[in-house]
Amino acid sequence: MRWDFASVFDNTDALLVGAAGTLRIFAICLVLGLSLGLLVGLGRYSRNRWIHIPATVFVEFFRNTPVLVQILWFYFALPILLPFQISPLVAASLGISLNSAAFSAEIYRGGIQSIETGQWDGARALGMRWGQAMRRIILPQALKRMLPALTNRAIEIFKMSTLASAVAYVELLQQGKLIASLNYNPIEAYTAVAVIFFVFLWPLVQFSYFLERRLRRDE
Amino acid sequence: MAYQWDFSPVLANAPLLVEGLVNTLRVTGTALVFGVALGLGLALLRLSPRRFLSWPAGFVIEVFRTTPPLVQLFWFFFALPILVGIEMTPFVAGAVTFSIQSASFFAEVFRAGIQSIERGQWDGARAIGMRHDQALRRIILPQAVKRMIPAFMERAIELMKTTTLIATISYADLLFAANEISQKTFRPLETYTVVALIYFVVIFLASQVARLVELRLARSGESTVH
Repeated sequence: MRWDFASVFDNTDALLVGAAGTLRIFAICLVLGLSLGLLVGLGRYSRNRWIHIPATVFVEFFRNTPVLVQILWFYFALPILLPFQISPLVAASLGISLNSAAFSAEIYRGGIQSIETGQWDGARALGMRWGQAMRRIILPQALKRMLPALTNRAIEIFKMSTLASAVAYVELLQQGKLIASLNYNPIEAYTAVAVIFFVFLWPLVQFSYFLERRLRRDE
Repeated sequence: MAYQWDFSPVLANAPLLVEGLVNTLRVTGTALVFGVALGLGLALLRLSPRRFLSWPAGFVIEVFRTTPPLVQLFWFFFALPILVGIEMTPFVAGAVTFSIQSASFFAEVFRAGIQSIERGQWDGARAIGMRHDQALRRIILPQAVKRMIPAFMERAIELMKTTTLIATISYADLLFAANEISQKTFRPLETYTVVALIYFVVIFLASQVARLVELRLARSGESTVH
């Protein structure tokens, strides 16, 4: 068996298109997932049960089902209830974003709860309303503690983006499949895709280790 | 336009769903057994003071934690068989991929657990004449394992969710059964909804068990390691 990466390099254009697709869905899901997660996390923290219960149901449902099932549900099942089709990008983004929202909601909740009640009391004593105290006092401190966990979420989102290939969204793995089937070179094609993912993710992983170490040192 | 829900075509295919769930549990169980054993091995190698042992273990752990599991699965299913000239069934490819993938996560759980045990425990074991492996087996691991249980169960649940990827290489797991039934009955909405609920029930129950065990451990005064 001789390795021959020339057939992969000949298809650099296809891989670049795939990388762009991966980065696009990663960016969409990162922004939607983490911001929606904050809303849901605050919702779970709420004392109003009309907010608290739906937020809890949402989190439990999306944490306890596989993300691939969610993506396929949005792609194959949801359009039946809607008057329009759903594109692979939209279906995969919905699945991954909602799943990430549920997981990051728990990170936000844990982070907010980890701030001592004295901080709340102090903010109240200065005359801040709940929203002001949350925005100016609690979240800035909590965010620092949550940063390592949120970075890990980002890494998970990047890895999950490959699942979009199951609904034929054009991303790196999908392009790897295409190259492998056109050139009969699955070894080189899939190795190249694995290496590209490693190159993208390794710096992020190192960054998360750095954040964890720094947090441990500071606390 | 109000859609008429009809679950009867899906329920008529209940045997396929049951078979799919059994296969899902089979992959999960296989990968769990091999993943835990391999994870312990990797953790011990990584903690070794000898670099020619700790570096390769660290490399395997980092590579499998840092690349997407679906890419790994495709590599083991489409690339490896050609490379080494063997036949690979979807089940074997999935079992191998998920075993190594979960092992690299279990390895970090084991490592954190072992490192969380105070130095004094090692010193005490040495003082009564135990060798390194005796101390590890009799003193350190029994204490560490108890602390690792919550993180360990969390990973096992993650593993079960990851096994759905095996449907993409046509192994007849629960998700694959959903694909089949939805194509056969033209009822994707009902089929995928039912399958999502089955996954939810199984995984939610597993999560609740994990939560109970964690509460009990917390009450018995053991700190947990994540």
